[in-house]
Amino acid sequence: MSVKVGLPRGMFYFDYFSLWKSFFNNLGVEVLISPKTNKEILDRGVNACVDESCLPVKVFHGHVDYLKDKVDYIFIPKIISIHKREYNCPKHLGLPDMVKNSIKGLPEIIDTEVNLRKSNKFLKKSIIETGRYFEKSDRKILNAFYDALKQYNNYLKMMTTGFISLDVLGKNADMKVIKNIIRKDNNRRILILGHSYNIYDQYINMELVKKLKDFKFDLITAEMIDEKKAREYAKKLPKRMFWTHGQRIIGAAYYLIEEKSISGIIYVSAFGCGLDSVFIDLIERKAKKAKIPFTLLTIDEQTGEAGVNTRLEAFTDMLDWRLKDESNFSTLW
Amino acid sequence: MAEYYLGIDVGSVSTNIILMDESNKVRYKKYLRTQGKPIEIIKKGIEDIVKELGEVEIKGVGTTGSGRYLADIIVGADIVKNEITAHAIAGLNFNPNVRTIIEIGGQDSKIIILRDGIVVDFAMNTVCAAGTGSFLDRQAIRLGIDISEFGSLALKSKSPVRIAGRCAVFAESDMIHKQQLGHNQADIAKGLCEALVRNYLNNVGKGKEILEPILFQGGVAANIGIKQAFIEALNMNVEVPPNHDVMGAIGAAILAKEEVKKKGRTNFKGFSIGRLKYNVNSFECSDCSNRCEIVEIKSNNGVLARYGDKCGKWSNIIKKEDSKLA
Repeated sequence: MSVKVGLPRGMFYFDYFSLWKSFFNNLGVEVLISPKTNKEILDRGVNACVDESCLPVKVFHGHVDYLKDKVDYIFIPKIISIHKREYNCPKHLGLPDMVKNSIKGLPEIIDTEVNLRKSNKFLKKSIIETGRYFEKSDRKILNAFYDALKQYNNYLKMMTTGFISLDVLGKNADMKVIKNIIRKDNNRRILILGHSYNIYDQYINMELVKKLKDFKFDLITAEMIDEKKAREYAKKLPKRMFWTHGQRIIGAAYYLIEEKSISGIIYVSAFGCGLDSVFIDLIERKAKKAKIPFTLLTIDEQTGEAGVNTRLEAFTDMLDWRLKDESNFSTLW
Repeated sequence: MAEYYLGIDVGSVSTNIILMDESNKVRYKKYLRTQGKPIEIIKKGIEDIVKELGEVEIKGVGTTGSGRYLADIIVGADIVKNEITAHAIAGLNFNPNVRTIIEIGGQDSKIIILRDGIVVDFAMNTVCAAGTGSFLDRQAIRLGIDISEFGSLALKSKSPVRIAGRCAVFAESDMIHKQQLGHNQADIAKGLCEALVRNYLNNVGKGKEILEPILFQGGVAANIGIKQAFIEALNMNVEVPPNHDVMGAIGAAILAKEEVKKKGRTNFKGFSIGRLKYNVNSFECSDCSNRCEIVEIKSNNGVLARYGDKCGKWSNIIKKEDSKLA
């Protein structure tokens, strides 16, 4: 029987699932991914996690709790920094420690530290440290990683052409992708912004993607914008953005706002998110100047959908209204 | 027989029902407290129309408010619209030049920015209900003041006290503290009005370009203390339309009129719905770990609607056509 590693479907999973899954598979390790967030996972997370944390961290705890009796290891890297001179949210930095403190009866946690703040060369150390749990040969570990990286880069490239992982939109397959109909006429396109774990977890954001699709809008996310492009536009900030997620979110938003290729922006934020409080304000100001409608959806533990539905319906109504009135619109303000 | 369009706004605190004629004039209005029993209240509202006006012809029905889908199931609507759009339509109908609509309801508050007759921006309160009608209701009870006298009492104040308005819980403890210091009720009432307005402008109205003409709509607009506080805070004129409390319902009725013009008939199920018995059950579906809370509405003629499931297993059983037979 092969060894089994659990991947909790939360937090950085939504950025790196393709990389992590292939890496472990390449090492001959079986990977078990927790199911999509559901009420049971949310409840388990809320019960286990410290009270003051944000919703996605609570949900992450629920995923770990689900996996704990089913696997030999759970992979929760301590991702301190993934880019030179940049940091992640403090909750990422402390994630494995929070989990270990709050959940009893855990299997061994692979909490490799990833800290590339000073230099990329520390990545190799993290890879080998993780691989050593299953493989002695450094060469084999690195090969497993480089192969996984190739697949991951392919996935990233696919995202930039407007594909969204099926894992995000529905059904079960992880690596299958479907086309996110981005059509030529771009006046019905909404940019969805926020941390990947808020916009791709369709349970906690109450199926935002599906709802907007039902309103016949095309969707674009920050991940669909080439990273280089995003970083180039993030440089326009008067002060350097030192959060990696911020580089991506703000950069992508600035780019699309300046290109005027979107008709509206919806920002999904977990209640109490400190990083978002900065990003939202910066993006809202920029959008306002460009006269692009912006709205904020704050998510927390609530499961009543009336509030979210009302906001989305009103927002899309407004966009339709404005689009119908496009000729008039240019004379506004 | 008189012909009307019916507008229903089922909110968290009040359910408003209006009848509007072909020229968009309100001919009947009813403001009922929802009291957590939306179905009963909708039925009562429909029966009241028959009692007070006799049989009239309903040419179209529009529903809005957080209970708009429920109202559609019971009454049969031609259009189901969110509150923002409904309030904007009604505001434009009252004053085609309106550029800002302030709407404060029971559980939420909104700002709608319009330019040249279209909505260009809006916002709703985020997670806290501090700046809403139920907050005022609650504080009025604490002060032992009837909510309908709250506004006129506030106007008597000469030196309002400052009350923290950011959070309903903090506001309450701050207010109690001021009471214990011996401040009079008028000053506290005015302080609360100012706190609500401050919170509204800093939260909902943050960054919005508020320009005249300004309409103040929703149940809270009845409170002249709040209206005065808005006028003072903005240093602009704020107008409260005569039908401010039922603007959502008016907007829904106007939209219904347009919709019926397009399709030529109404979905209205008839006044008999007031006499039907409705049973509402809810249960937790245990087929998967989502554990959706399913709501089932039954009447004499069988199941009218089921909803609440993520996968569509329960809601798909009911075909839209069947539900209209009732």
